[in-house]
Amino acid sequence: MPISAADPLLEVADLSSGYGKIRVLTGVDLSIRAGEVVALLGPNGAGKTTLLRAVSGLLPWSGRVRFDGRDLSGFGPRDTVKCGLAHVVEGHRVFTQLSVFDNLMLAAYDLPRNERSPRVEEVFALFPEISAKRHERAAWLSGGQQQILAVAQGLIRKPRLLMLDEPSAGLSPVLVDRVLDVVQRLREGGTAVLLVEQLIEKALRLADRVYALARGSIVLEARTSEPDLPHRLEQAYMAGVGHRSS
Amino acid sequence: MDTEAAQRVSELRAARAETPARASAISLALPYLALLAVAILFPLFGGGYWGVIATRACVYWVLVSGLNLVVGFAGQIAIGWVALLTLGAYTTSVFAAGNVMAPLPPYLALAIAAVVGAIFGLIVGLPALRLRTFYFAITTLGFATIVTQVALAWQSVTGGGVGVPGPVFPDPFASQWGFYYFCLALAAICTWMTANVAASRFGRALTAIRDAEVAAEASGIAKPRLLGTVFLFAGATAAIAGGLFASLQSYITPDAFTLDLSVLFFIAILIGGRSSILGPLLGTILLTVLPEFAAPLVAWSTFLYAVLLLVIVLAMPGGIAELLDFKNRRPLQSNRAIVPRPDLVARLLDAQGDTGTLTLDQVALSFGGVHAIDGLDLKIQPGRVHGLIGPNGSGKTTTLNVISGYYAPQRGAVMLGGKALPALAREARAHMRIARTFQTPRIVGSASVLENVMIGGTIDGRGTFVESLLSLPRHWRDEAKLRDTAMLALSAVGLERLAPVRADRLQHAELRFIEIARALMLRPRFLLLDEPAAGLSGEEIARLATLLLAIARAGTGVLLVEHHPDLIFDICHEVTVLNLGKTLAAGTPAEIRSHREVVNAYLGG
Amino acid sequence: MVTSIVLSGTAMGCIYALIAVTYNVMFSASRVFSFTAGTLGMIGGVLGSLFILRMGMPIALGFLLALAGGALLGIVTEIVAVRPVLKSLDQHLYVLSTLALALMVQQFTAIEWSTEPAPFPRLFDIPRAEFDQQFWLPMLACAFVIVSLELLYRYTLIGHAFLAIAEDNYAARALGLPERRLRMTSFAIAGAIGALAGFAGGEMLLAFFANAPMLTFYGFVPVALGGMGNNRGAVVAGLLLGLFQQSANFLVGGIFASVAVFTVFIIVLLARPNGLVGSALQRRV
Repeated sequence: MPISAADPLLEVADLSSGYGKIRVLTGVDLSIRAGEVVALLGPNGAGKTTLLRAVSGLLPWSGRVRFDGRDLSGFGPRDTVKCGLAHVVEGHRVFTQLSVFDNLMLAAYDLPRNERSPRVEEVFALFPEISAKRHERAAWLSGGQQQILAVAQGLIRKPRLLMLDEPSAGLSPVLVDRVLDVVQRLREGGTAVLLVEQLIEKALRLADRVYALARGSIVLEARTSEPDLPHRLEQAYMAGVGHRSS
Repeated sequence: MDTEAAQRVSELRAARAETPARASAISLALPYLALLAVAILFPLFGGGYWGVIATRACVYWVLVSGLNLVVGFAGQIAIGWVALLTLGAYTTSVFAAGNVMAPLPPYLALAIAAVVGAIFGLIVGLPALRLRTFYFAITTLGFATIVTQVALAWQSVTGGGVGVPGPVFPDPFASQWGFYYFCLALAAICTWMTANVAASRFGRALTAIRDAEVAAEASGIAKPRLLGTVFLFAGATAAIAGGLFASLQSYITPDAFTLDLSVLFFIAILIGGRSSILGPLLGTILLTVLPEFAAPLVAWSTFLYAVLLLVIVLAMPGGIAELLDFKNRRPLQSNRAIVPRPDLVARLLDAQGDTGTLTLDQVALSFGGVHAIDGLDLKIQPGRVHGLIGPNGSGKTTTLNVISGYYAPQRGAVMLGGKALPALAREARAHMRIARTFQTPRIVGSASVLENVMIGGTIDGRGTFVESLLSLPRHWRDEAKLRDTAMLALSAVGLERLAPVRADRLQHAELRFIEIARALMLRPRFLLLDEPAAGLSGEEIARLATLLLAIARAGTGVLLVEHHPDLIFDICHEVTVLNLGKTLAAGTPAEIRSHREVVNAYLGG
Repeated sequence: MVTSIVLSGTAMGCIYALIAVTYNVMFSASRVFSFTAGTLGMIGGVLGSLFILRMGMPIALGFLLALAGGALLGIVTEIVAVRPVLKSLDQHLYVLSTLALALMVQQFTAIEWSTEPAPFPRLFDIPRAEFDQQFWLPMLACAFVIVSLELLYRYTLIGHAFLAIAEDNYAARALGLPERRLRMTSFAIAGAIGALAGFAGGEMLLAFFANAPMLTFYGFVPVALGGMGNNRGAVVAGLLLGLFQQSANFLVGGIFASVAVFTVFIIVLLARPNGLVGSALQRRV
């Protein structure tokens, strides 16, 4: 069922998820509109990666998740990719034994054969630095280039929403800027982005809205244009702390 | 001593007295006694043919009872144990028949076989310490083939393909029923001995090695020694079974010892269920008797065993033992609260001498090119809670692993009271009373909560394996003391009501507290906690905080690796912040809280 | 005499290498070893004899059907013995489930086919020579499989997908690769390779149910020595094993040859539990 321009592209309500007996997320609410860049911030162990894994179908979840009007219950990652939702996982993981070109072709696995090469070329056009290395093994790329390759993989299927899990982790500042440039370009191209990041200031500069996740649920939601955000974020993380005397 | 605590302890003792050990022991022994009664009366209603089957079941059980400790309890996949049966059969027969020297009396031959079996059991089993599971399974298969082939080739001694007559035991065991009672007696003794081991700290240690190996190491359990012991025992019982088997068959040839037989033994244990004596006993009887009920079944017997094994693995990994576990079918109370008792913590940890500080001095460790820890100084004092925080990948857990002996520092030293700790000696930490918990709770799911906690006190036992085997007094004293201490530890963390419940029925938060109770069994000078608050609700974190403060107040030095700011800032006396393997800041929680760089690094920025 | 040892040793070594490849392909796809690898070798020989000799089919058809039978058994292994236990908390259940399945197939064969070795057809109607087809058929099969696998992994999309799943299962899933279907296909390919080993070696091994435990053990030795999942290492180790075994056979006789192989295997494995190639440290806590 197609959604109108006013409806959110991704709608998450009362989401709970975890690993076996360990409950990480409890009652998470979140929404993303088409073409928006939304930052998801929070301390370690809050559940940001778990949230992305639940939405993309890598983990079982309970609650309600709707994407592009469709209910994602029971969907695995292959199905969510088909719907237009791409998840670039943490740690710039690419297939090191394969060439850059083959890495992208793998992302196009489910496309009809004659569409694969053209689509890979389109994505190469967006990322000249990895296009130049297309026949090199991915193991020989720098960390930043591998991260760009991972993002490029996510774009092969023309997603309407791209979820990025800490793309700056382990990268030097120069490379971080390069990667976040890519996010800027995506927004200009009309792709919505859910960006999980540790670098608060850079994320706030890039995003339209921000959610803060702590202890398994959303503790703050705001537009990035609002004042005094860093302070409000810190307050939200530390809420309930320091009230007991040792 | 705190009067309230003393009263609590006497309450516990009274509760134990209401269901005294003797009464519960009799109810446990009932199924065995019933089986024994049936077996003793068997000749009255069973004919000659069934007598052979019954004797065979007894002989198989002598082997399986020992192998049960290896496969069922220790979880070692020794598929080719028929090799030991072959060895025992040939050794007994050859010595009794006089193929190498003058014929020996059959009992002496059997005893020699037991010794040979023990030695070879150790040889066959020891690769388990070094090899992966599948590799070890394959090597035992190889052994089984080799032994049979040697029997075939060594014609001068074993008679080659022609074979050798089995030993004949003198009266009153020469007749069919006489021999039956002989085998039954040995089977009963083996049942009794292995049941004793199962209910001892050795049995629990074996299951810990199987299901929670890192927790076993942290509790000081020495895997090589314990596994070596059970391999010796299993080899001896298998060899004795071999001698009896040879006598039962009257004549043995190499092709009597097929892989099918090995499979039968192995599957009997798995059908019976792991960590059980009764289960595999029933399994052995079942598998011996089943093919006899229909002629065509005999040819298909191994096929059926394999089908049974597949069904068990896929549908009911707990086997017969799980079917018979009625007490764990009772529903548990929902909305259970964990209420620690700080006063009991003091009673449990009692007075500790001056133990010195636990220090890290410029410790550095790299993996590949990455500096996991890069020149770290840390000082954990007794009686204080020291927090260790930092982003993912900052080296928190690695630091904890270095202290507990999983990694050796490449530079610098870890010292206790000024003396360097031996690197990579994980089991030694328990003897130094350094205890730890793990990021994901490492618990033996199939054991009860109480048994899990008792594992923590394994090294406090004084009795040897043989004393447990023979149920000697020191074994009982150990058990009583361990049980009391474990109940006290469980009460201290607030979980005593769940003591008899199977651990895998518990919620995540309860498992975390059980790990702490287990660690407390060592009466640790230092307690290292790896993200104990992960997955806990706010209320549970508050209770955890109370517990940890009580532990510190009793004199233990606590190192708390954590993410949760609540826990860190509420209870820590000192906090060290790590980033990329280096100390970013160190001080009191208040100082850290307002340290700009820390807030940025910890929260991101 | 030396020629005979070299020929039979290389041929047997190729058969062992192919079974090792079967183990490895299953391992790459699922991270577990399956006891059915040796059974697949046995099935290749038995089905070949069944279709061609007993049922009188043309050789090419019998060959294809034997391979299909192996592929089918491979798929059954994945569905029945591997997939259900991958999710389980107990990591070692796969040893038991694949053992059970292997035993079922072996016993069924023993009862329904024969407990005695049955003859295997001569595939090419040419006179016997010193470098006879019973020797070069396994060598040809081994070379064919190794080259085909290299081409598959290097040049085809599905081959890349297999490598991706083997290297980083999590990232492959997140990318949307059809992990389950790829695993089943891997197991089917492994099944066909195992059956090919038994078929190509049929004249040497005959159609005998007891080939299964023998191939299970000797097919695993190259895996253990060459490194888990390492096909090239498996081939080298397989050839060495075959040559060593045949030499020992000649020098000290069949039974002591087995003892010799086994002793060397245990000693090497105890010295280098990760094979002669070695592997990286893993974090357990």
